[in-house]
Amino acid sequence: MSNKVLDINNVTTGYENKVILENVNLTVSDNDYIGIIGPNGGGKTTLLKLILGIIKPFSGSVNLFNNGDHKRSLVGYLPQENKFDKQFPISVRDVVLSGLMSDIGIFSRYKKTDKNKADALLQRVGMEGFAKSSIGELSGGQQQKVFLCRAIISQPHLLILDEPNTYVDNKFEGELYDIIKELNKEMAILLVSHDVGTISKHVKSIACVNRKLHYHPSNHITEKQLAEYQCPLQIITHGDIPHTVLKHH
Amino acid sequence: MDILELFNYKFFNHAVLTILLTAITTGIIGTYIVSRRIVFISGGITHASFGGIGVAYFLGFNPILGAAMFSVLSAVGIEFFSSSKTVREDAVIGILWSLGMAIGIIFMALTPGYTPNLMSFLFGNILTVSSTDILINLGLASVVVVFFTLFYRTVQFIAFDKDYALTHNVPVKLFNCILLCLVALTIVMSIRVAGIILIISLLTLPPTTANLFFKQFSSIAIVSVIIGVIGGFTGLLGAYYFDIPSGASIIFTLVIIFGVSKIYKYITHKK
Ligand SMILES: Nc1ncnc2c1ncn2[C@@H]1O[C@H](COP(=O)(O)OP(=O)(O)OP(=O)(O)O)[C@@H](O)[C@H]1O
Ligand SMILES: [Mg+2]
Repeated sequence: MSNKVLDINNVTTGYENKVILENVNLTVSDNDYIGIIGPNGGGKTTLLKLILGIIKPFSGSVNLFNNGDHKRSLVGYLPQENKFDKQFPISVRDVVLSGLMSDIGIFSRYKKTDKNKADALLQRVGMEGFAKSSIGELSGGQQQKVFLCRAIISQPHLLILDEPNTYVDNKFEGELYDIIKELNKEMAILLVSHDVGTISKHVKSIACVNRKLHYHPSNHITEKQLAEYQCPLQIITHGDIPHTVLKHH
Repeated sequence: MDILELFNYKFFNHAVLTILLTAITTGIIGTYIVSRRIVFISGGITHASFGGIGVAYFLGFNPILGAAMFSVLSAVGIEFFSSSKTVREDAVIGILWSLGMAIGIIFMALTPGYTPNLMSFLFGNILTVSSTDILINLGLASVVVVFFTLFYRTVQFIAFDKDYALTHNVPVKLFNCILLCLVALTIVMSIRVAGIILIISLLTLPPTTANLFFKQFSSIAIVSVIIGVIGGFTGLLGAYYFDIPSGASIIFTLVIIFGVSKIYKYITHKK
């Protein structure tokens, strides 16, 4: 039996009365792995901000875990753009620990077990040698791995990844999808990407976001279906043939 | 005269206590200013506070109180404008910067008869500190130390990644506002030591030097305090023996410490 982790009910939202998303419905259960696709400016990041509570619905409701409890640590988030301060004096381990911010509160003190957890996660993404380095000394892809650790250290029930493959090299992209697949055994995943071809190899279902949201309950999607969903995207398949073949009409 | 004999003088004891307390506040707040790269904002707040000094003289109340009011108001104003995004933040700071100086000098000119000692506000004069100033300094140093000890992680995380902190329901605005007010008060309480024109170096030199060797916020802050104490005492003695203004002497010492550290770092790095 699967538990609901998120329920978006007929939500309209946007910025300062500018409507970006209209009558959106989406239900996420704990073993879901949903790819969110859509054109630039279609509202994907806005949808994630809505789930995170950064923006509020104009109408409709967003319920996390059936009880409206917006305890942030239960949602892990890897932002699309990291607007962090690259030169700020903070170690990689401390960045990972910052994912526990809302668990620990503003008087935060970390326990030894938290630090061990952070180190274990860094090891999992192959960054164990960097725990004490400054975050600014790392490459974009390495930073992305650290931010992934930050997103999952609180053992969230829902993990939200906004274009996680932007900075990472091909080798890590493969690793990344392996890690996400592992994580999906423990939590629901929402993965935003432009790259329909690549993500449909990994996700279980697809949501097309372009002002409206159309849920597509499988990972096979055709350009014709995308057009029906008013989601004008090109399907490009890369290199090796994906095991879930995208059929052209 | 022997150094120890100097301690027989009240003004010297006051100066020593002031240097110790100011080193603690400026070390911690300076590390925050440098890490967050709000040096320009701090410069704006510093110069805005001069307006308060002028107004206080004109109306006949304590100039430090006037400076505190102007600096805190400008800090809150800058924080407000920077979040509203309707006006460019750097333009607002530039305006506050010179407006404060203009108000200050106008009101000083308008003050009948008495001409306040302008130079000591512009360049500092540690020999003018009163017992009240020391008590206020002690209060501020305690608040800063307690605040940064209690909220160290939160301050660090907000400064590092504000947007992410927001997703964790951290009261980012409140913290930024409190911190900027602490910056403003630190600036005001350093006027006696370094004066409006030299304060920025007092705040930025110790952490910049510490940052050559340390990469963590907490270690940079602690080492900054130590550098501030060493630079402050050496500068004070230099001022006494060469009979030069104390503020400039302290800043000069801090620059020398920075220069020597930089050269040391350069040489050891080359090996
Ligand atoms: N903070 C904001 N204030 C006002 N409008 C915004 C804001 N952020 C985004 N928008 C607008 O909302 C729309 C949707 O933006 P959003 O970032 O959700 O798109 P997206 O689907 O994530 O696009 P991309 O693929 O480029 O990341 C855009 O038209 C954008 O201009
Ligand atoms: Mg986006």
